Amino acid sequence: MADSSLELEAGREVGIDQPAGRWRGWVLPLAALAVWWYVSRNASGTQGIMVSPAQVLHTAIAQAESGALWRAMSASLTRELTGFTIGTIAGLALGALLGVSKIASRAIGPSFNTFKQVSLFAWIPLISVWFGLGDVAKVVFLSLAALVPVVVHTNDGIRAVSPALLEVARVFRYSKWQTVAHVVLPAALPSLFTGIYLALIYSWLATLGAEYLLVAGSGIGNTLVDGSEQFRMDLVVFGVIVVGVTGWALNALARAVQRRWFTHAAQAARLTQ
Amino acid sequence: MSTVIQDSDSRLDLRQVSKRFAGDATARPVLDGIDLSIASGEFVSIVGASGCGKSTLLRLIAGLDGDFDGSIDFAGEPVRTTDLARGIVFQDHRLFPWLDVEQNIAIALKNARLSRDEKRRAVAEHIALVGLRGYEHHFPHQLSGGMAQRVAIARGLVNRPRLLLLDEPFGALDALTRARLQRELQRIWEHERITMVLVTHDVDEAVFLADRVVVMQARPGRIGKVIDVGLARPRDRSDARFVVLRDEILGELGQLQSDVAPSDVR
Amino acid sequence: MANGFARNFNPALDPGVHDARPLARASLLNAGRSAGWIALPWLLPAVCAALWSLGSRYGWISAQVLPPPSLVFDTLAGMVRSGELWMHVGASLSRVAVGFGAGVLLGLLLGGVLGLSRTAEAYVLPAFNAIVQVPVLGWLPFLMIVVGIGEPLKYILIAHAALVPVTLGTLQGFRQTPDAYREVARVFRFTRSQTIRSVILPAAVPVIGTSVRLAFTKAWLTLVVVELVASSEGLGYLIVYGRQLFQLDLVLASVLVVGAIGYLADRILTLLEARLQRGNPR
Repeated sequence: MADSSLELEAGREVGIDQPAGRWRGWVLPLAALAVWWYVSRNASGTQGIMVSPAQVLHTAIAQAESGALWRAMSASLTRELTGFTIGTIAGLALGALLGVSKIASRAIGPSFNTFKQVSLFAWIPLISVWFGLGDVAKVVFLSLAALVPVVVHTNDGIRAVSPALLEVARVFRYSKWQTVAHVVLPAALPSLFTGIYLALIYSWLATLGAEYLLVAGSGIGNTLVDGSEQFRMDLVVFGVIVVGVTGWALNALARAVQRRWFTHAAQAARLTQ
Repeated sequence: MSTVIQDSDSRLDLRQVSKRFAGDATARPVLDGIDLSIASGEFVSIVGASGCGKSTLLRLIAGLDGDFDGSIDFAGEPVRTTDLARGIVFQDHRLFPWLDVEQNIAIALKNARLSRDEKRRAVAEHIALVGLRGYEHHFPHQLSGGMAQRVAIARGLVNRPRLLLLDEPFGALDALTRARLQRELQRIWEHERITMVLVTHDVDEAVFLADRVVVMQARPGRIGKVIDVGLARPRDRSDARFVVLRDEILGELGQLQSDVAPSDVR
Repeated sequence: MANGFARNFNPALDPGVHDARPLARASLLNAGRSAGWIALPWLLPAVCAALWSLGSRYGWISAQVLPPPSLVFDTLAGMVRSGELWMHVGASLSRVAVGFGAGVLLGLLLGGVLGLSRTAEAYVLPAFNAIVQVPVLGWLPFLMIVVGIGEPLKYILIAHAALVPVTLGTLQGFRQTPDAYREVARVFRFTRSQTIRSVILPAAVPVIGTSVRLAFTKAWLTLVVVELVASSEGLGYLIVYGRQLFQLDLVLASVLVVGAIGYLADRILTLLEARLQRGNPR
């Protein structure tokens, strides 16, 4: 179940299961590219909107050479990773508390559930009042975005630990700490990872949104918005590609981590359920 | 390799053990006035139809459930909660899916006061004891049901408990594997000479393994009859005396079914 | 809802529950404990509300930073009475309705085609996957140039936000029909359309249902962002407007409404999903 929800939520690639015929996947993109090139060649008047692939490439190179691309990306990524880290750590702590203690869960859980109902971006204007328009506000927002999925999945993972295994811990007289460290944590780990994975994706989404709305500072989102305001389609298309590639890279990274450390646990868990 | 067991070392005494499920004062109790004494080193099997409370009784002895009336004493001490001296093997093996065979057995020793070398040796011995040498680094999902259950038995024994409880350990296995594991268990018991209490619904298994067979009735759960199996081991299932005993027990169980009065049928 | 805080705790983690207790426990004590238990979820909100009220009253918090709760509720009530709130809620909801509806329909269609035809999947899915890598928000600046900042912008973005999970969910649902059921269809010589209608579709309903619920969450989220960035009415607009005029009471009131609507919609969809899944084990 965790796998399918990850694909839905994180926009992970759904795999195709035929070995031959990989070339067929290229047909549409190449055709689209050809159409784009053709149209942009023949459209004269609409200079703003219709931009050619060559122009985009040209802009891309210019951005990379001038260092603007790296500056924007590093600013965005730094903020994202900072927010992601803070949110994940806080989320693990809060999620663990809610998972382990039924009192805490009852006291804090419903309030947290209510809080997470509100679309996160709605908080940005308020955050901008309290923290300004710069990096601090953005990191606060990103931390929140990362915190929510981590809390939810940590809590779920801990609660889902099989009572059968917990009884084994009692048979061997584990102290509460030993039970948590040696039974609860390993059993909950796949779920924890799902939460962290989602936190990574959500904080990336949040980065973009934050940069649109909290315009002080620089970042790839700012590049996009600037390009949009200046009607520079080439810059915008370039930005979209960069954002897409980054998203893909983050997904691929998380997937690789999951494959290396979590497949056999998930496999095993699925079999013993 | 066998430990010397004193007479009082692992004696189990149950006196008037009763249990009702909380909040259900009207229904019959789950267990009603169980009296049973098991001597050190004995192998006792408890049989009964579903619902007779035999698994519940085992959990009380293991200390997993502390809510009952009456007294359970082990080696002279009242049983309140779990203890490393009383091991238990569950029907679902309950191995940790994220640990391999060796690690699964080792985690039982987490609170044992042994040096790291001693622990390692104990784990290796018990892997050999259940015949799984070579599988140390396999994971539970890579093992067959029978092999997983053998790991569970090794885990139950590695602490050298004075009492081992087995709750329908072979119930989920096919007939051939079951027969093989029964022989294994007998061999292990003869080797270790610890007290074993085996709950099962398989009468054959009970007569094959046990010194005494306790037949339980259901609704309420109580002891019907305790039958001595006086046969030498290894036992032959086609031996006439074996068959007689088995039929006697089956008769007890069958007769109990027909004892159900019409008013009990709802 | 899947995340059941305080709805099911794991007694094995708190072994105190199991230990032997004398059955005759003072019933008064039990009553006291259960009253406390019922009240517990309200403790945190009550404390926060109290601090908030006191803070505003005694000036620890300036109204510019956090207006008193009374003001927020007054503002909200005022907007309800004047009809202003409904105007904005209506604008937001109609956008979501159009975008979400279109996105779900297209998603079902696309996911269905991809799920049923391996050929279509081979040609289309890689391109789809690539596009999915760009988050919805990433398209915002692009679309602003192409369609401007009017209604079409919102519709397209919201539809995109909804389309992605529904397509993936439908695709998965169609692909993951258990082989066991497919074999039964073959034994009874079902035609392709019979198989689709009687086996594949019903088996796919749970996953599709979940994806639709998720799609709404994303659609609502997208709506809020778009309205925050580029809108002249709607709840998001209210939030920005209030922020610019430093009328934080307006901001908070709008945030409350955003949350309430999101919550209600999710509940409704969850109920619908449960209805659909009656008897379907997954």
